Amino acid sequence: MISGRFLRLTGTSGLILLACLLAAAIYVPVANQFIDPGSPFHVNTASVVVFGKYLCFAMLALSIDLVWGYCGILSLGHGAFFALGGYAMGMHLMREIGPRGVYGNPILPDFMVFLNWESLPWFWYGFDMFWFAMVMVVLVPGLLAFVFGFLAFRSRVTGVYLSIITQAMAFALMLAFFRNEMGFGGNNGLTDFKDVLGFDLQADSTRIGLYLLSIAALAVMFLICRAIVLSRLGKVLIAVRDAESRTRFIGYRVEHYKLFVFTVSAMMAGVAGALYVPQVGIINPGEFAPANSIEAVIWVAVGGRGTLVGAVIGGIGVNLAKSYFTGALPEIWLFALGGLFVVVTLFMPKGILGLISHWRRRQPPPEPAAETGAPSSTAAEERA
Amino acid sequence: MNTLHKELTRTVLYLDGISVSFDGFKALNDLSFVVEPGEMRAIIGPNGAGKTTMMDVITGKTRPDVGSALFAGQHDLTKLDEADIAQLGIGRKFQRPTVFESHTVRDNIVLSLAGKRSVFDTLFARAREEEADRIDRVLDTIRLADRAGMMAADLSHGQKQWLEIGMLLAQDPSLLLVDEPVAGMTDAETVQTATLLKEIARDHSVVVVEHDMSFVQDLGVMVTVLHEGSVLAEGSLDHVSADERVIDVYLGR
Amino acid sequence: MARPLLLILQRIALVLVLATALIGGSAKAQSGPSVPDLVSRLAGADFNETERVVEALAASGDASVARLLEALGDGDLYYRRSDNAVFIATRGGEGYLLTDPLTGASAGEAGRREVAKVRVNNSLRRAVRAAIGTLTLRSPDPAIRIAAAQSVLKSGDPEAVEPLTEAIAAEQNDSVRAVMERARAAAILNSDASDAVKIDAVKTIAAKSSQDTRAILLAASNGASEALGSAISDAVRRVEGDLALWSAAQNVWYGLSLGSVLLLAAIGLAITFGVMGVINMAHGEMVMIGAYVTYVVQEIIRNHAPFLFDVSLLIALPLAFAIAGAVGMAIERGIIRFLYGRPLETLLATWGLSLILQQVVRSLFGPTNQEVGAPSWMSGAFELGGLTLTYGRVWIIVFALVVFAVLVLVLRHTSFGLQMRAVTQNRRMASSMGIRTNWTDALTFGLGSGIAGVAGVALSQIDNVSPNLGQSYIIDSFLVVVFGGVGNLWGTLVGALSLGVLNKFLEPYAGAVLGKILVLVFIILFIQKRPRGLFALKGRAVES
Repeated sequence: MISGRFLRLTGTSGLILLACLLAAAIYVPVANQFIDPGSPFHVNTASVVVFGKYLCFAMLALSIDLVWGYCGILSLGHGAFFALGGYAMGMHLMREIGPRGVYGNPILPDFMVFLNWESLPWFWYGFDMFWFAMVMVVLVPGLLAFVFGFLAFRSRVTGVYLSIITQAMAFALMLAFFRNEMGFGGNNGLTDFKDVLGFDLQADSTRIGLYLLSIAALAVMFLICRAIVLSRLGKVLIAVRDAESRTRFIGYRVEHYKLFVFTVSAMMAGVAGALYVPQVGIINPGEFAPANSIEAVIWVAVGGRGTLVGAVIGGIGVNLAKSYFTGALPEIWLFALGGLFVVVTLFMPKGILGLISHWRRRQPPPEPAAETGAPSSTAAEERA
Repeated sequence: MNTLHKELTRTVLYLDGISVSFDGFKALNDLSFVVEPGEMRAIIGPNGAGKTTMMDVITGKTRPDVGSALFAGQHDLTKLDEADIAQLGIGRKFQRPTVFESHTVRDNIVLSLAGKRSVFDTLFARAREEEADRIDRVLDTIRLADRAGMMAADLSHGQKQWLEIGMLLAQDPSLLLVDEPVAGMTDAETVQTATLLKEIARDHSVVVVEHDMSFVQDLGVMVTVLHEGSVLAEGSLDHVSADERVIDVYLGR
Repeated sequence: MARPLLLILQRIALVLVLATALIGGSAKAQSGPSVPDLVSRLAGADFNETERVVEALAASGDASVARLLEALGDGDLYYRRSDNAVFIATRGGEGYLLTDPLTGASAGEAGRREVAKVRVNNSLRRAVRAAIGTLTLRSPDPAIRIAAAQSVLKSGDPEAVEPLTEAIAAEQNDSVRAVMERARAAAILNSDASDAVKIDAVKTIAAKSSQDTRAILLAASNGASEALGSAISDAVRRVEGDLALWSAAQNVWYGLSLGSVLLLAAIGLAITFGVMGVINMAHGEMVMIGAYVTYVVQEIIRNHAPFLFDVSLLIALPLAFAIAGAVGMAIERGIIRFLYGRPLETLLATWGLSLILQQVVRSLFGPTNQEVGAPSWMSGAFELGGLTLTYGRVWIIVFALVVFAVLVLVLRHTSFGLQMRAVTQNRRMASSMGIRTNWTDALTFGLGSGIAGVAGVALSQIDNVSPNLGQSYIIDSFLVVVFGGVGNLWGTLVGALSLGVLNKFLEPYAGAVLGKILVLVFIILFIQKRPRGLFALKGRAVES
């Protein structure tokens, strides 16, 4: 049976989540392979891919919840970390194509041949090796987050200022990746992947494998996040969120904690991106778009920030809704999404999970701690 | 030189010639001020006298334009940041109570306990027996033992003030800076707070900034009057309240 | 855009036609024997007779003979044996294709035997060339005279010295004469004139600094004597120095132009974010609303009152201010006031709002770019020294500065400005002094949004009017406000202009996109160095 320690690690809602993931891990492949396509219980392969995609979004949401929900850092640049992880994976998949490209060049990807490049740029070296690409999936977003966070947190850029510059970072990266000269395929990005580790990416079995891998990755990430959040470090993170200067005045180096959680979270976003790319079969600079990052934030808000489980619910739920609306009522989707931003922030600051616990306890949840005193002047009062 | 050095090392806090200005406004003007070990000192002064700015300088939040600030005669406070200074042993209570609202009372104390503060230490930290004892003692001192499991957000205003003082105690600092601890408290709470502070002062140096004269009276300690960023008078409350200049400042000319 | 533009072009063309007709008419009145008579004399003429005809044609000053003279020089001029009619003939089909030498109209074909060439020798060819030069240099149309002089300036044909000297003596128009003098100097440099004359010519040429000047001088330095060579290299150095200065000045201009766009986009934000501390991600959509108001106003004018087109922007300005301002106030009352003190939630809610506003506009007007025309007083360009300035850009800079100045005055010298500052500095105190703080909040937000709308009117002139218009400005605007220093209008001004100039100075080295990226990286690093921006307010600040 499940031991008490494990239950403590997952929490009740976390346990339910993991059970659901396990169920999905068993049901979907079985329904895909063994249930008759005519049956309503059948899951076609396209849907498997879509579910796999949502799982990656859930991972991205999880990573955002870790920094925003627990440490109060509203990053509008996590889509960029996601995309960087995706590009690292995409670069490996490009190298895997080998001589099977349109131009048949054994080393150079097609777009480089097209641009008349003579040789592989140095930053493409090593990506032919799977392990190297996997290290880069984590390292590149992690390093960027580390450097960016080091500078930002050291100079105490906080709140909306941090949000704005993370957004500017994503924007700058998007512009950069749009350039052909950058060596990442410019506008078109990286695509036409053939296989990974010898498995054909178009094959049902590979798709189901990637889907299962995404479930496993999501579960592991969830447990890592829980472990961090439950540790004393997690308590410090919440302390930073609630009262940053108090935390500092009892001797914690707030910037180190922020840097740690920001970097870990960026790495998780990178892994999510790396799992996303082989499933959708393309990565392009559009993934860096600031709108993507901010949309991912709303998944977390919808599910309930600072709960981890809520982030997963939001990441999957909002995207299910998006698929439905963009298919059935494309005009309505942006109204719905925009309305979601407004409604969630105005009426359900704790998200779906907050509502559920509210109903269950039948008592008002404690007010969220005010993050600042905007139009009134706290600083002036403190100094007087 | 030698005697001066001895003089300095004997002090807990030594401020000399500190000036700070904001956009031309002199918040502190050649302020000099000494706290001896084990001493409790009350600081009074009208609004804008520079009380909070002084605390900011001592805790590393604000850098002085000129002047020196030494802790225990050897640590230059003007070169250290808030976390360094807190780890050296200076605790600060804000004017408005700031506690970690989404943590339990107990966790608030746990986080404040003296100990290693690095990221990885906290990541792998385990609750220890001796910690539990210390936490219980602190909770007793601040009279919140029966509320240990409550969310800090659900405490009353006065209880939050005490919790914050408790957090300072858990830090085990050699100097406590307490900014207006009884602001917004009921009379009963005010009296209890005075008792609490006197208890604490038995084995800590304490600097209390306060407006409430009866509270200062209750404390019965040496008083420093600040005005326009520098020391106007120093002595017992009776002594300073007899001072002509202090009366001018408080009652208007 | 196409219709008004066409209208303007037609108008311009009409004016030109009238002007040339007047000048041409007066010039023709003075001429001696008619041009067709002269032309007919070419049939079967000997060399001397041909030369006399050429000179007479040149003296006629009729530009239409240029084609004929060119054909003569090239040996393409023929006459028909049967009737002595003169044609320009080119080989084609069985024999020759004929065109009328004066009108250029096709005149049928002729067999190889039916026509004979008007014969030319070398001295005649020289005369023809000189005649062409004289002809165009004497043209009644100043534009043609300038073009003729400029072609000499480029070719540096030494044969042109004579005709140019004569043309200069006869020239009445100062600006045409200046070009002619430069052309003559260029011709002299290629002739066998003495060094002293040539050094004078170098001075004349170097008086105006341009790439052409530099090229002419460098070409002339080949095989020049020592004295001339050093004079030329001095001149080249001076010209190059000037050119560098002008190109820097042009960059500054482009930079200020970009900066004024940034300023327009950011200035409303300096109120809502800078002064109130409200982070409004739908700010860009207020700009977009302003642009669409302009579009609608122009549509109505086009359909109902085309004569008002030139003032369409002036009509759009107050409307854009009112509509964007009203939308802003509605947003403040409806959403933002519930989120005061929670900037991150405000950010998310207003982002959602921006999506809704975009979709509303998309549903109403469609997703494609709408055409917004430029009134006549905003099109065209003029030269200032070595700079080319377009009227559109000049107006936008002026407009941005005017909006800024008005805003500063409103904030500083009106009671509304006073109340607004009072509320943002100490809400409770302001409220207890009888200021209706809620109302002030709404008005302040409306003011910021209205200014964004006004900016949209201006930006409709240089950007695509589409539902995405606002999004392209939102990041830039926030960076400008933060870079300049939150809560400081002057910081926004300096921030916008200096970022604009920085961007344009980077572009020549890094390219447009990389330049933009570098600016973004610069701002990100700058904010980390000085989180409060260029002109930080010390002490009190909007802290998050």
